[in-house]
Amino acid sequence: MIRPESATAHETTERELARLIVDTLNLEDRPEDIRPEAPLFGEGLGLDSIDALELSLAISKAYGFELKSDEASRRVFASLRSLAAHIDTHRRK
Amino acid sequence: MTAAPLVTGDWSGQRERGSLWLVRTMIWLSRRLGWHFGHALLFPITLYFFLWSRGARGISRRYLTRALGRQARAADVFRHFFVFSSVILDRIFLLTGSVRPYRVRLFGLAHLQSCIARGGGCVLLGSHLGSFEILRVVAARDCPVPFKALMYRGHTAALTGLIERLNPALCNDLIEIGSPDAMLAVRDCVARGEIVGILADRAPDSHKQLTVRFFDGDAAFPTGPIIVAATLGAPVVLFFAVRVGRRRYDVHFEPFAEAVILGRQTRQEDLRRHVARFAARLEAQCRAHPYNWFNFYDFWGSARPELAMPDRHCSGAARPVLRAAGPGPAALPRSADGQPGRGAVEPGLVP
Repeated sequence: MIRPESATAHETTERELARLIVDTLNLEDRPEDIRPEAPLFGEGLGLDSIDALELSLAISKAYGFELKSDEASRRVFASLRSLAAHIDTHRRK
Repeated sequence: MTAAPLVTGDWSGQRERGSLWLVRTMIWLSRRLGWHFGHALLFPITLYFFLWSRGARGISRRYLTRALGRQARAADVFRHFFVFSSVILDRIFLLTGSVRPYRVRLFGLAHLQSCIARGGGCVLLGSHLGSFEILRVVAARDCPVPFKALMYRGHTAALTGLIERLNPALCNDLIEIGSPDAMLAVRDCVARGEIVGILADRAPDSHKQLTVRFFDGDAAFPTGPIIVAATLGAPVVLFFAVRVGRRRYDVHFEPFAEAVILGRQTRQEDLRRHVARFAARLEAQCRAHPYNWFNFYDFWGSARPELAMPDRHCSGAARPVLRAAGPGPAALPRSADGQPGRGAVEPGLVP
């Protein structure tokens, strides 16, 4: 399995993930409107923990691994960038 | 000891500090002098809040007029406050392990047991009717699988801390609403075959709510608990744990759904149907136990049009502007999360 490690690969995951977020949660925002560093929860995109649950389900389907519920995952959910980086590290497909 | 939730809006630190010393005193006196002494104190304490909480009096009277099916009188409102205080007093004793003098009858337990037997976990939907605490305590003692309570702490952190220090072990049964991974924790619990209790009668200050019929008016209810149950594919059982007398509680379990299914095209209608069914069951229980419902805010006033927007999963539904300014709930403590909010399950106060 080839795991994307380069900066461009991360950017590809970010774009993929933005689309997944918009599709899964049926947001009005366009994927390209989601700024990579902006917080996903609260002030930024305004997601909540129920969105996180639905999103985690979509991520497990798309990337073959499950997001954990712990302190670390709170950091993972900080932004599109951190979530995409986490996916690149843990993806199984 | 009951100051904070009786205050609608104006949730200042001053208020919380004001009631803190009272709770501390109550806990101290009750633990040293026993339940009977604590119970004797309830009358003057309830009277104090009855006299000083004008807003809550009006809210209680309007609710009771609906639940009783007749014009509520001052004596009814006082009784409502008194039952509320009693439930909180019981909470102190239940948490400190004085469970033995309590008589708890369980009805419809088979519905829960069949979920447990299947081993797939279960979502227990409850409300601010009666006492969540009694269920937690009974479950901690008798339930073969762990029972977790999903709760919001936020605004009553200090009070909650005070009360929960009485029984730190029970805190392990809490999943705190507010962090992004709260529902992932719920997912993990259900996956382990555990039971997760969620209170589903406080609409959050977000788009995750729907306005449905409740008594003779429209009121906002949260959709979050239904969405969570649907996402997890978990069976849903309702519970109503009501105080029926001095240290006497009845817990009713009712089947709600083997699995909540939200169609991709019919999501909004499906959500509405489930929320309306929940509201109808809650209404029936409120009529049966009118003095047990502890949502001391303008419940029917919460059906604000700008928040009663379709879930954004519905086609074409824009994400509504969150935290929209407006009367009513805007003055209430806010939920940082989309979950059974209206800013609080107030675990420190509302049992």
